[in-house]
Amino acid sequence: MISIKLWVYVLRRILILIPTLIGLTLLVFVLVHIQGNNLILAEYINPRLTGQARELEIQRLTQEFHLDQPVYVQYFYWLGQVLTGNLGYTNTPIYSGPVTTAITLFLPNTVVLSLFAALLIWLIGIPLGVFSAVNRDSPADQGIRVFSFTLYSMPIYLIAIALILLLGVYLNVLPFSGEVSPQMVAGLSWFRDGISYPTHVLLIDAILHGDYAVAWNAFLHLIMPSLTLALAVMAGIIRILRASMLEVLEQDYIRLARAKGVPERVVNNLHARRNAMLPVVTSFGYTVAGLLGGVVVVESVFDFPGIGYWTTQALLNNDIGGIMASTLLFGIVLVLTTLILDLVYAVVDPRIRY
Amino acid sequence: MEERTEEGKYSNLILSLKVFFSNRTAVAGMVIFLAYVVDALIMQFDPRLLGVTNPNQFTYNFVNPVPQPPSSQYPLGTTYPGINLLQAILEAIRVDLGYSMLIVVGGAVIGAVVGILAAYVGGYLDELLMRFTDIFFSVPYLVLAIAVGFALGRSFTSMVIALIIVWWPIYARYTRSLTLSIKESVFVEAAKAAGASMVRIMFKHILPNTLPPVVVQISLDLGSVVGVFATLAFIGFIPNANTPELGYLASLGLNYVQSAPWTVIFPGLAITLFALSVNLMGDGLRDVIDPRRRS
Amino acid sequence: MERVKERAKVLEIKDLRVSFHTRRGVFKALRGVDLELYKGEVLGLAGESGSGKSTLGLAIMGLLPRNARVESGEVLLDGSKDVLKMLRDYGSRDVKFDPRKNEKLIKRLNKELREVRGRALAMVFQEPLTSLNPVLQVGYQIAEAVYYHDPMRLVRRAISRNRCTQADLRDLMTTLKTKGEEALIEEVEKRNLRGLEEQILSIWRRQDIHEAKKEKLILSLDKHKLDSKDRLGISIYLRGLQRVPVLGRLAKDALIKEGYRLAVEILTYLGIPHPEKVVRMYPHELSGGMRQRVVIGIAIVNNPEIVIMDEPTSALDVTIQAQILELVSSLKASSNRSFIFISHDLSVLAEVSDRIAIMYAGKIAEVGPVKVIFEEPQHPYTKMLMDAIPTMDKTELKAIPGSVPDMRSPPKGCSFSNRCPFVMPKCKEMEPPMVEVSEGHKVACFLVGERK
Ligand SMILES: Nc1ncnc2c1ncn2[C@@H]1O[C@H](COP(=O)(O)OP(=O)(O)OP(=O)(O)O)[C@@H](O)[C@H]1O
Ligand SMILES: [Mg+2]
Repeated sequence: MISIKLWVYVLRRILILIPTLIGLTLLVFVLVHIQGNNLILAEYINPRLTGQARELEIQRLTQEFHLDQPVYVQYFYWLGQVLTGNLGYTNTPIYSGPVTTAITLFLPNTVVLSLFAALLIWLIGIPLGVFSAVNRDSPADQGIRVFSFTLYSMPIYLIAIALILLLGVYLNVLPFSGEVSPQMVAGLSWFRDGISYPTHVLLIDAILHGDYAVAWNAFLHLIMPSLTLALAVMAGIIRILRASMLEVLEQDYIRLARAKGVPERVVNNLHARRNAMLPVVTSFGYTVAGLLGGVVVVESVFDFPGIGYWTTQALLNNDIGGIMASTLLFGIVLVLTTLILDLVYAVVDPRIRY
Repeated sequence: MEERTEEGKYSNLILSLKVFFSNRTAVAGMVIFLAYVVDALIMQFDPRLLGVTNPNQFTYNFVNPVPQPPSSQYPLGTTYPGINLLQAILEAIRVDLGYSMLIVVGGAVIGAVVGILAAYVGGYLDELLMRFTDIFFSVPYLVLAIAVGFALGRSFTSMVIALIIVWWPIYARYTRSLTLSIKESVFVEAAKAAGASMVRIMFKHILPNTLPPVVVQISLDLGSVVGVFATLAFIGFIPNANTPELGYLASLGLNYVQSAPWTVIFPGLAITLFALSVNLMGDGLRDVIDPRRRS
Repeated sequence: MERVKERAKVLEIKDLRVSFHTRRGVFKALRGVDLELYKGEVLGLAGESGSGKSTLGLAIMGLLPRNARVESGEVLLDGSKDVLKMLRDYGSRDVKFDPRKNEKLIKRLNKELREVRGRALAMVFQEPLTSLNPVLQVGYQIAEAVYYHDPMRLVRRAISRNRCTQADLRDLMTTLKTKGEEALIEEVEKRNLRGLEEQILSIWRRQDIHEAKKEKLILSLDKHKLDSKDRLGISIYLRGLQRVPVLGRLAKDALIKEGYRLAVEILTYLGIPHPEKVVRMYPHELSGGMRQRVVIGIAIVNNPEIVIMDEPTSALDVTIQAQILELVSSLKASSNRSFIFISHDLSVLAEVSDRIAIMYAGKIAEVGPVKVIFEEPQHPYTKMLMDAIPTMDKTELKAIPGSVPDMRSPPKGCSFSNRCPFVMPKCKEMEPPMVEVSEGHKVACFLVGERK
């Protein structure tokens, strides 16, 4: 089924990535060096050092990072380090040590959170958009429109706070801080110093160890952050989908589907929706970017230990290593996710490949 | 496609106004937007009108720092440390509105120049510029803003620069696609045939025609930018700001949010209402320039 | 001509009035159309652009857009079913027209007419290039039309082919060759292999291959057995479990797969080369002519009583156009179906039609048997149309002077009066009534009434 044309398309898409990724590393490098060497020295020099000791330390760092070389030479040294997996050090209250270790600790949590959010978007956002268009001008449609429009206009932290107040405080049904209730994990063999083993995702680790009560608790902790993320991203999707669905429903092929006597349910959910998804898909790049940006805010509001939480901690503690590494990482994740989504959809939608 | 006569322009304008004003929600959006603008102007030029002496700083009250619920003295309550929320919000609107405008317009101008250039010159320059914008699209915008702002030093100025850097590529792509379609149109061809210079064509023919859609985009983006701006401030981008800014204002009350939810909710609502108004207005404006919706 | 009268009416349109409500005004697209369609005939419908031909077709199908108001009139299917009742009940009420309310009714109408559309009544739209769904395979779009109306047909086809043996096929082949098609059908019934006959006949009726080849193809029908997944799907269907979520999917997949085979047969019949490949293609991979034929295939796959074809040949070059016209004639002959064939090309209509109706500004100006219309047209408009047809000896096309009236405010009296060379004072005062001048030949013109 998968034709040669499709493979060519895949190959081309991957090749286009290379300049983008090189550009990404350049961008990060430029940011680090925009203030000369100050940011690097600030990160690695113990502020209590003075005089001779400080000079020596600066000399050592200059050697290590080739700071005496021209900037473009430094870039290649740095790129070499990055490519060999040496991303420097991070120094934040939640973690101090090699960046690579920080990533293995935090990234899995963020991935799980984002997947949960994506699932919610899929399960709630897409049907709402379709329903809204199909029943246009009905009270339900008006409700959905007001809902999505308001949501679209809310800064994401306000959505988070609103959910905390509603579900966490007044209804008191969901926890809203951290990844698990501390008393649940006290004394567990596979949970030490706030880190769970082996995958570092509490939910999965708990299931692996058969601690279903802990898993359930971790799951409850996941709901509110992922719901916040989902709501924030969903608003845009509902709006795009509703508009494109309305347009598609006017098309000749929808009229033909009706002329064939296809049931309305199938007309809407197959004939119309597949076509209406196209604008949603072409804006996947923005959507994923919004989702990942939202991760930063949501994780810090909910104290959820992921990449985003680490990023804000790095920001608040002036940790250039953490900021730059997470920028690079977010960039790579965004680029790859967009690529994968595009390719998946190219298989589904015949119009995309050529 | 262009109506060249004076009369045509005039009746076109009337029709545009008609379409806009027949959209009740868009008009409501415009009214709210104007209210924000008026507030910002008052704060800028004569804050005493609203009983404010110094709109550049919060007025702290350490005698009674714990947030108070809304009362007749403080219609929206107070937030930590003893800040009158209503007054603070009125002050903060100026800052958020001003900076957001600066960001969007700055981004739009840079983006428009790059976009028009790329599309008009075409060839390698186009390819190069578009690959260049790709780089900026390869990082989630909030993260990019954090990184850029951080590298420049954590201050309002660097936040503005960071967000302009985040936003201009969007406009570059948008104006590029607009220009590409305008470039093909009859009157540009005619101008070319008449021997008009490239610069003249770009500024005289292409720019005016990209303007309306870009203005609509500005209106729609203003809502997002205000949100992102406040969000950055909310997560603590600016240390000890002591500047009336809605996101920062909300973060002041965060520790009390369970007992005093208004401290976060009201500044947040101020942003939401603003974003809502510009989104509604932008939608209305889009209807005006979209010939399909117009008929 | 008397023959026409004896036939049963399959469709009757009475005083149909439809208007479109837009921001720029109310366009009166149909202003009192009376028309009937008899069993087994092709009714040609001609008229200038904007005269309301497509609107009439859509009204019959109940597929009007939300801004279309049905002010009065009936569309009666088989003399009883009133298609537009719901819309008319709203449209004829003396209230401000609200497209939103109309849309609600249209939604209900869509549900109500689902069984009828595609099975009893089918339409080929004017826009073949945009009528196919870009994200669904061509085969699916044909198969689906059968799946939602006559799934048992697909089941029968699959099961009978699965069950038949080489001996069966040989016997059936002999029957077909010696005793003809009717006997074959009987024989198939006897062997409890219903569903096989259409597969055999679709090969047998092919004209593009030799008899020996046909025979070979028929005898190899038993090679295409069902695989286990299809058998599972079909047995799920037969147990009535097609509404259960996952099982239903399997059932639908199996039946649609059979539908693809049927689609191949239909496309072969319509003369599309390499139909096995085409069914797996998407519309944008097809040429305009192929898409046109796919759309026609969708319309005829369920053997509907009435097929409305709206300019089915407009996107085609002359050879394919001729093929389509031939197709319509052979369909009519073989299946006793009725067609409404819309075109503004009178020479096309002359080839296929039994009767012709001429539309002008939302009304029927003249209707009658094709010979009468061409040889003794009565309405000045028809006469001018006839003059405008380019023929061998006078090649230049004579345009009709003047233009179609603004349908927002059609003129009082006869709508053709502003262009009519024979206009009389009363033409501007009163609308001319339909007068029957001869058997089945009706004209709406005072000139005709005068002479009587
Ligand atoms: N959806 C619609 N909205 C508004 N007006 C419409 C709509 N569809 C048709 N009309 C108007 O109704 C009138 C009849 O249109 P219709 O499409 O039935 O003409 P037609 O005879 O099929 O023309 P053609 O030969 O060009 O296909 C025209 O004046 C047209 O402008
Ligand atoms: Mg038509």
